[in-house]
Amino acid sequence: MDSSDTKRYWQSMEERNGEWSASPDEFPEPLPEPATAMSRRGFLQTAGFTLATATLTGCGRTPVEKAIPYLVQPDEIIPGRSLWYASTCGACSAGCGVLVKNRDGRPIKLEGNPEHPVSRGGLCAVGQASLLELYDSERLKQPLAAGQPASWDEVDQAVLAKLDAIRTSGGAVRFLTGTVTSPTLQALLAEFLGQFRDAHHVVYDPLSVSAVADAHQQTHGLRVVPRYRFDRAEVITSLDADFLGTWISPVEFTAGYCAGRNLEADPPQLSFHIQFESRMSLTGTKADRRVRVAPGELGVLATHLAARLAKRAGVRFAAEGLDAIPISPELLDEVADRLWQARGRSLVVCGSQDVRLQVLMNFLNHLLGNYGKTLDIESPSLQRQGNDGELENLLRELREGRVAALLVAGVNPLYDLPSSSELAGILQRVPLVVSFAERVDETASVAHFVCPDHHFLESWSDAEVIPGVVSLFQPVIHPLGQTRALAETLAAWMRKPQPVYDLLRQNWRMRIFPRQRGENEFDAFWDRAVHDGFAMVEHKPLQAKPFQFDAVRAIPSVEKPPSGALALVLYPKVGMLDGRHGHNAWLQELPDPITKVAWDNYACLSPATAARLGVRQGDVVRIETLSADAATPALELPVYIQPGQHDDVVAVPLGYGRQGTERFAKVGPRWLFAKPSVGENGRVGVRAAPLLRWTGGCLSPVGREVRIAKTGKQHALACTQSHHSLLTPQNIPWIGGKKRSIVQETTWPAFLRSRSGGTASHTEPPLKEDLWPPDHVYHGHRWAMVIDLNACTGCSACVVACQAENNIPVVGRDEVRRQREMHWLRIDRYYAGEDDVDVVHQPMLCQHCDYAPCETVCPVLATLHSEEGLNQQIYNRCVGTRYCANNCPYKVRRFNWFDYSREDRLQNLALNPDVSVRSRGVMEKCTFCVQRIQEAKIEARRQGKQLADGDVRTACQQSCPAQAILFGDLNDPKSSVAQAMRSPRRYRVLEEFNFRPAVGYLKLVRNRAEDSGEKHDG
Amino acid sequence: MGSRMLTVVLLVGLFFSVLALVPQITALRLPGNQQGYEPPQPIAFSHRLHAGELGIACLYCHSGAEKSRHAGIPAASTCMNCHREVTAPFGAVRAEEAAAKKEGRKPERIVSPELQKLYDALALNEKLQRDPEKMPVAIAWNKIHNTPDFVYFDHRPHVAAGVSCQQCHGPVEAMDRVRQVSSLSMGWCVNCHRDANQRGIAGNKVKASTDCASCHY
Repeated sequence: MDSSDTKRYWQSMEERNGEWSASPDEFPEPLPEPATAMSRRGFLQTAGFTLATATLTGCGRTPVEKAIPYLVQPDEIIPGRSLWYASTCGACSAGCGVLVKNRDGRPIKLEGNPEHPVSRGGLCAVGQASLLELYDSERLKQPLAAGQPASWDEVDQAVLAKLDAIRTSGGAVRFLTGTVTSPTLQALLAEFLGQFRDAHHVVYDPLSVSAVADAHQQTHGLRVVPRYRFDRAEVITSLDADFLGTWISPVEFTAGYCAGRNLEADPPQLSFHIQFESRMSLTGTKADRRVRVAPGELGVLATHLAARLAKRAGVRFAAEGLDAIPISPELLDEVADRLWQARGRSLVVCGSQDVRLQVLMNFLNHLLGNYGKTLDIESPSLQRQGNDGELENLLRELREGRVAALLVAGVNPLYDLPSSSELAGILQRVPLVVSFAERVDETASVAHFVCPDHHFLESWSDAEVIPGVVSLFQPVIHPLGQTRALAETLAAWMRKPQPVYDLLRQNWRMRIFPRQRGENEFDAFWDRAVHDGFAMVEHKPLQAKPFQFDAVRAIPSVEKPPSGALALVLYPKVGMLDGRHGHNAWLQELPDPITKVAWDNYACLSPATAARLGVRQGDVVRIETLSADAATPALELPVYIQPGQHDDVVAVPLGYGRQGTERFAKVGPRWLFAKPSVGENGRVGVRAAPLLRWTGGCLSPVGREVRIAKTGKQHALACTQSHHSLLTPQNIPWIGGKKRSIVQETTWPAFLRSRSGGTASHTEPPLKEDLWPPDHVYHGHRWAMVIDLNACTGCSACVVACQAENNIPVVGRDEVRRQREMHWLRIDRYYAGEDDVDVVHQPMLCQHCDYAPCETVCPVLATLHSEEGLNQQIYNRCVGTRYCANNCPYKVRRFNWFDYSREDRLQNLALNPDVSVRSRGVMEKCTFCVQRIQEAKIEARRQGKQLADGDVRTACQQSCPAQAILFGDLNDPKSSVAQAMRSPRRYRVLEEFNFRPAVGYLKLVRNRAEDSGEKHDG
Repeated sequence: MGSRMLTVVLLVGLFFSVLALVPQITALRLPGNQQGYEPPQPIAFSHRLHAGELGIACLYCHSGAEKSRHAGIPAASTCMNCHREVTAPFGAVRAEEAAAKKEGRKPERIVSPELQKLYDALALNEKLQRDPEKMPVAIAWNKIHNTPDFVYFDHRPHVAAGVSCQQCHGPVEAMDRVRQVSSLSMGWCVNCHRDANQRGIAGNKVKASTDCASCHY
């Protein structure tokens, strides 16, 4: 029996409880009916007015258009043709390879570089959206001195004078940065700090994994974060590590994870992934087994697991007097068995900031023989180098007034760290505070000098995120303001000013070039690296000490909050991370993959806890810490009810309430009933960082004990989970009396038995014979898409890719609440089950049906079928009746209620000139990136070639870190999409209605036994 | 009585205005149709001279037509390929040479006023070298063949299929000032695509799509 036949899926708690049914109308707000019927006279008046207006507008002269060619045309530029440059993403420290699309001198799209050895072609939502920040008019255009614009010369002289004084007095200089992956910048920093008697470089990551490094210091004598190889792991056990969403290097990990779960390989592979976590993370949604464990229970759980594995390995491990296992002992035995059987092919990871727990993780991986196989500390990851212990030291020094100069680059301590108000006071007493922020953030506001760095697309730089892979950043546009690269600023302050290009090349000549063997000439090596975006060089593996068993200690007891209190879990959201991209409208509008909420943060509670507290979704609650501490203010946040969350936990996203989000007061259309996208504090969301906690030398986002109090206030969240629902109305009978799920999944044993993982009805169309001849016969190409639900992690990179490619506007919080979000591609998230819910992500876009319901109802033929299977939407013909959207069963059509101009005019430079900017009153939807199809066809014709499979890649497909999307020509039987379409796992959504969509979905397969306690609808 | 007079006057007026419009009935066009548009240009560049008399290939200057969506207007640097040497019409140069011979002096270098605009745009001095005192100024030509923003016309497939430039742009080589000859309306495009599918282009069979999304996206 196929589980997907009986499994009941739901999208929101209201739907599960039967309190909500799909709105029969696409548009929730009906237009007001006129009070009286129109009289004949009134009709004639209106008609006459319309005619007169039409005549008058027809009489206008067409404006004169100017065509302004280059005076001297650069060789490589042909107006109208795109150029692609390989570079590196600077949106976080993971260092993914990107290809930058440049059109007529301005970058308009970031895509993953398929040849990059770390990211392997993927690029996350944040990376793609970082393009918008290049064209941000609120970015600083020149340095600031005491908050006032100044010239670089003035700032340099003033800073040099102060630094000289410090050099003679021997005062302490502290350089505070985020992870610096650039070898060139590291060398410059060392040289710069070497001028001072007491200078130190302090590194912290706002999303810290310092405990992982500290634990390896204890167990292996190396303070490193290992490089995790999920592609080699057959059994993955994760304790609260969101490695597919936000942890260390999600794009790299997603690519590896999916490589280990390739069902199309021969033989098919499916790793086993079990996730123990308290909140619902993106990684948890993909797990084969997901177990809810409170954060305070993880230590005991890990100890029990370690005791079982130590016994098998014959290693002595003192673990007596432990608290009871927080999960069922049988399950723990099973996990231990699976891990033990997959020795050297398994991986245990943990996202905790508790060093004791991380030491236990190292112990587990050591017992399993995973070091050197699925995780590597001899050539470790350099993506997170933060050291919270040193940060704590720095804060102590600052408090004691022992720091003469603090220079801050790449981080925003006054936002990232708790007790920021105290810190702001302390910073005012430091004689010299310099910030290198790109915009006036919390820390830059109190700095004496702000020396703005370039956007990463404007500057030369490099990054070595994995030893031996050195990536290059290259400028793709002339800096838009008078900004200066940090490396250049440092060189100027060492009195040897040099352009960053020269600094970079010098460093490469001295330090990188000698590490490679391929080229004899430096220039050839350099040119190849610039072309490829990276260079492979040799590196000396680090020497780890033998495993230090003394460091391993059992964690015997559960940390349980007192009754009535909850454990607070602060976490980064996939789109917002630590908040450094808070000013990015694309990311603010991106619905969170799990909660589907945009434009806000909130307090996630489990349904049971919410019922116990008597709160409903949208009720504003106060979160107060139990330890009465004046420095930690209470947070007021709306409640979000999160199925699958642990009952003892309240989870709050970080990254909100940033300075700079005030700008979104004016995002979205201006009209009578418009409400701003910012909250009462004037910002988007509430800053949760004050509730971070210092514990054992690490900054931990979990573990505070809090109490929840109702405030009686309400706050409507902009939550898209029940928008555009595919729920079939009850009065439509199921064809064949059988319900066919919109999302389908099966289990690994069922899949192995028959590759369809279920009854044959799922792969064959329900109607084999048709009374009528086909409406459309395709002689040439026939474009189609296949989306692998097994690979899709819901990371939403495709949503932002589509937004950037297709000029999709941002509408703001109020419009999202009115179901008017404009994303052409959304990811529907379905739950199944009661308490331990399963989650399925389903990217939903125009299905380009052969028998498209939208086409038959358009009165002006503005939507119709092409000869290549595309469902075309012709903007200039559309009169905006919205019949098509009402008739679309997949709810993928979007109506332009307004002219959505950008809140920042400069950001119009990011528009794709190959896609029309739609005006008010027209319908729009996914076009299968027809502009890319046209470009590929025309280029093939120009070069006299046939279009090959893979020549057309849609924006969503290109950047998918999981490579879950395939696109191509179905009429070419050898194309990858045609092969995938023949997969037994393939099904189509709402196939029983015979719309014949061109998008196929591949069933999700979970690695679990068929009768593993799933809740069935019965 | 007065109202009857008014009616008569109005009717007579209407009659004459219709009569006045009849000869221009062929000039009536739909809004947006710019057929016959022939604006003056900042430099009186003559296609008749360059493409007609001198026989310079269209693609020499409009090289984008093969490689890009836009045929493009040549950069001033392309003009300088010839006009670094040729600074005035041949007739004027010959006349100056004849006059100089008669007067027994060296012929002076003549610069035509139109070409002087080109040199000014590039900020060149009398010796046609970059004058650091001057600022280069881009030349803003008046665009003649203009499609609306929701139309994505691409030169490449048309050039690749062998459609001659004149088929859409008319006898440019005979025009001093370029005029829009075709209507560039959608019906005009589609008719040609249908004809091409029936008859082929330059003897070759072609597949000219009439899908909406060929041009509108």
